[in-house]
Amino acid sequence: MLDKFLETLYNKVFVNIVVEGSKTNVYMELCTGNSKLEMIHNTHEVFETNTLSTQMLEYIESYTRETPYFYISILDNSLAQGVIPTCDKGRLSYYHDVSASEYKCSANNWTYFTSKTDLYSIEKKYHKIGVDFIFSPFTVLSHFFKDKITSDLAMYILIETSTISIAIFSNGELLYGDHLNTHHIIEEDGLTSGDLDEDIDLNLDEGIDLEDIDVDGDEMELIDDFGDIEDLDTLEDIDEFAGHKDIEEELYEAAEEPKSISTESSFNEDYQRFTLIQSCIAAYYKDEKYESSFIENVYVADGVGVSSELKRYLEEEMFLNVYVRQANISMEVCELAKMEFDV
Amino acid sequence: MIHSYIRPRKKSAITQETLLMFTFFGITLLMLLLTYVFLAYKDYSFVRDAQAISKERALLEKNLVKMKNEIVYIEKQKQFSQTIYTQNSVLKDSIANLFDLVPQRITLSQAKLLENGLVLYGITPNKDVYNFMLQAPLRSIFHRTYSSFYPAQNGWLRFVSTNYSDEEELDNED
Repeated sequence: MLDKFLETLYNKVFVNIVVEGSKTNVYMELCTGNSKLEMIHNTHEVFETNTLSTQMLEYIESYTRETPYFYISILDNSLAQGVIPTCDKGRLSYYHDVSASEYKCSANNWTYFTSKTDLYSIEKKYHKIGVDFIFSPFTVLSHFFKDKITSDLAMYILIETSTISIAIFSNGELLYGDHLNTHHIIEEDGLTSGDLDEDIDLNLDEGIDLEDIDVDGDEMELIDDFGDIEDLDTLEDIDEFAGHKDIEEELYEAAEEPKSISTESSFNEDYQRFTLIQSCIAAYYKDEKYESSFIENVYVADGVGVSSELKRYLEEEMFLNVYVRQANISMEVCELAKMEFDV
Repeated sequence: MIHSYIRPRKKSAITQETLLMFTFFGITLLMLLLTYVFLAYKDYSFVRDAQAISKERALLEKNLVKMKNEIVYIEKQKQFSQTIYTQNSVLKDSIANLFDLVPQRITLSQAKLLENGLVLYGITPNKDVYNFMLQAPLRSIFHRTYSSFYPAQNGWLRFVSTNYSDEEELDNED
């Protein structure tokens, strides 16, 4: 009773931590109100560390010491996370061994999971400030595109600095999803900026020459599969194909800020992202566990500011309609935290 | 919890410091309340005692008046008893004097004291003894004296002497 009364007197602070490679983005929102939260102040700071440094701790505590009602939210960056297109506990193991995972059902038709060990390590890493919420990037993705996932089949991609979360939804139902690490792939393949300079002659002013891209056997098969699209040579077929374009999203995209200028490093990263997306789509089509449907539209939640090259790759290489939305991931995490608070 | 993997920690504004502060204020308020209750009881007790004392005082004043009246009555009684005692002493002396008046040869058989007189019954050897030895002093005391004789079996005379004092004359003497 007394607690409820005191809660109405205090402001609420939502601290949202998103680890982006070697940096950490901390976004804070100061809200007032008890049942309906209203933002009165927000701020964000980027720290050049992926651990809880003293500066970050002081920065967070400078806000959290003002009120006992503060909520620390963290975006899970575990590599051992993913989604399963069912909530039936008996069928979860058919897709993934969840014995060592923490999982939750969403929308009563799909499940997102992560490694228990990684959750413990996050809690341990931030034990000085404590952790109230840990969100899956798939939850952020589904929330960000909540206006789209209930529509026709499409692929939704959340791009973070070092990871990509991919989910394929059809009429609100998850068909497939994967969480991939771009840096991991770079290290595995030994694909660095220097390697690219040696192996591929890239002229950034002219864009990428698709003939020079060396793809492995599986990817070639996939591209061969896409070669069937060349059969769509009649005007009617082309119009029918174009009819699935999301005009509303195109207008929205056109109204957004111009794309960031492509640099060499961003180009490498975007190429890696493209490769991952490509392999992910191939896995989706080929894996018999999942119900395959032909993907035409791709919605990208851009949390890092990808170059226009990625969109172009996807459109030209895979004949997809790509729509990119700029996303402030830490703000999206904050929105989820506020939703949790309301509950 | 609908999205998060973990539950949020329980938030409370009541920290150790505020709990200590509330405890301190609680104890202070309790002490103030107890002091207030104590003083209120004392006040009530004082008023109640004052009322009781006032009633007792009124009762005592009433008793005092009654006792004063009783004292007055007792003093009157005392005065009256002293008067009676004095009168009795006077009477006693008078009787003693009376009997002193009776000579050896006359024997009294009965004496009656009246309010303003004396009646004597007795035996005398003869009238002369009576007249000279008893009647003469009686006449000096009383204003009126009447004597009557009748003979006894042994030849002596029984007598009845009735003596009165007149009040008018007594007042004049005073």
